[in-house]
Amino acid sequence: MTAGSPSIAPAGRLSRVELRRYWRQLNAESRWGVVILALILVLSVSVPLLSPNDPYGFVDQPLQPPSAAFLFGTDHLGRDLLVRVFTAARLDIALAILGVSVPILIGTFIGTLAGTTRNRIAETVWDGLVNALTAFPEIILVLGIVAMVGADIRGLLIAIWISRWAQYARIARAKSLALRDAEFVQAAQVLGYSQLRILVRHIMPNVFSEALAYALSDFIFIIVIIGGLSFLGLGVTPPTPEWGAMLAEGRLYLRTEPWLILFPGFFLSLTAIGVALLARGLERISKGEDD
Amino acid sequence: MTSSPGGLAAKTLPLLRHPVLRRLAQAFFVAFLLMVFAFLLIRLIPGDPAMILLGDEATEEDVIAYRKLLGIDGSIPSQFGRYVSNLVRGDFGVSIRSREPVLSIVGKRLPVSLWLTVTTIVMTIALALPLGVAAALYRRTWFGHAFQIGASVLVATPVFFSGLLLILLFAVQVNLAPIAGYHAGFPANLYYLWLPALTINFVLVPVLARILQSSIVETSTEEFVEAAIIRGTQGWRFYWRYLLRPSLAPTIAALGYFAATVVSYAVIIEIIFNLPGLGMTLVDAVRNRDYPLVQGIVFLSGLLVVGLTFMADLVNGWLDPRAQIR
Repeated sequence: MTAGSPSIAPAGRLSRVELRRYWRQLNAESRWGVVILALILVLSVSVPLLSPNDPYGFVDQPLQPPSAAFLFGTDHLGRDLLVRVFTAARLDIALAILGVSVPILIGTFIGTLAGTTRNRIAETVWDGLVNALTAFPEIILVLGIVAMVGADIRGLLIAIWISRWAQYARIARAKSLALRDAEFVQAAQVLGYSQLRILVRHIMPNVFSEALAYALSDFIFIIVIIGGLSFLGLGVTPPTPEWGAMLAEGRLYLRTEPWLILFPGFFLSLTAIGVALLARGLERISKGEDD
Repeated sequence: MTSSPGGLAAKTLPLLRHPVLRRLAQAFFVAFLLMVFAFLLIRLIPGDPAMILLGDEATEEDVIAYRKLLGIDGSIPSQFGRYVSNLVRGDFGVSIRSREPVLSIVGKRLPVSLWLTVTTIVMTIALALPLGVAAALYRRTWFGHAFQIGASVLVATPVFFSGLLLILLFAVQVNLAPIAGYHAGFPANLYYLWLPALTINFVLVPVLARILQSSIVETSTEEFVEAAIIRGTQGWRFYWRYLLRPSLAPTIAALGYFAATVVSYAVIIEIIFNLPGLGMTLVDAVRNRDYPLVQGIVFLSGLLVVGLTFMADLVNGWLDPRAQIR
């Protein structure tokens, strides 16, 4: 272990020490995940900032292979692929985070509500509802909602929100079933707190950690859905740089200019792989498996 | 504690104490709710669907005719009543574009999708079984570690990227598959289907092989395995009866669960490989705002998954009596 650099300020040192402690608790898989995701985040922030090239603008002759001037080459409209790939990274990651965060809130709330009720009929109907919603093939349900709401970013996000909350509700319900008779909940009831307050302030926070663990794997699915629908021309549409839309454009040049799909596809996959490694690593830590 | 639709029903109807019947009743209940969802789907359209389709210059008669076509005339309860009674009679409405009944469009396009699904699942079993067993037996060797890493990478790679890579490799570099397209008729169609099926399996096989692997590892610590070893059971009988068969149940259950995923990915795969199946029909329908066609395909795909999950449950109960359907 190398000692912290002596030049850093006390406040900075404290956070560094903490960071190092977290780092030591991680296993190899989750460390790789963190490294990959950090790399993509740094590149997606810095590349569009530092490059003089506009992600939307013509810069040079179209369809150039990767070179020193254009590391990823240029696309069919003569735009710099490097800048476009990392501008796309910003949009894709932001959309995926938006896509995950709303269902986790809605689902956890509804699931906790369902888990704390003692009404038998409500439970029966509830089970059927969640089973039915999760019975639809995910992409087909998203496509169906997008068809109705509109084939654009807004429609895509609404479709993800409507179709993804049920799994969180399932997790929250299972957990809150175990919690509703816990002593701290009984204590809150004795204190005369309202049902809603007990639900939101006492039960939901305890349910949340499990939902967050699932959210990591859901993130992979959602970023793939965002890319997939944009690939079909039903989400983010050109000229906006987005990995799936770029794959759809580059697909036409598959035979002769394969780098047009290789770079966006590689970084989309790498993002998903990074999250997958992190998720799997954390899962194994929580299960107590080493190596 | 654990309550299910069957749980409540079992108290009221003695017949439903039979696990298979109870599971069937549950499946019907879910199918009914699928119908409700599909009905509600068209209500997500912001504004008047007839006006969206016809534009602002539409005449009054046109709008009324379109509302009738979409089943959105009259009160909501009466709309729902008509929707359900039509579905029960097999009437899924008419495509707005072609004016062809939705069910006959689906009937024409379904065979391609079914062939794709069947080819995929046969391939899944052929690949996941040996891989999962090998990954369990050689867990502590380089193979086990390579399997873990490879599985993580493959699972996270989106099918529309791996599909393009496979086309690049097998259709452009080596001429082992067509770049796209389809011709009906077994076995000639396998030439067009093996690459799309392989693409879906890039996601499916790692997941299932992993489940099988951890399931075998878990089974191998059971007492009945030890007892079988002590009794001197050997060879195929040992591997199948004591190790593989009890471990298969979670894998089959997962295969049922992933039926939805297969059907999902098939949509994107059909577009990439230009297969004229249901997925391509759906995407076209979404692009054309063909609401009844979208609604019909969404409902039928949900129904298909409910049926497949039900079958997986039955196979599951046969393979491992401990996992009795609850």
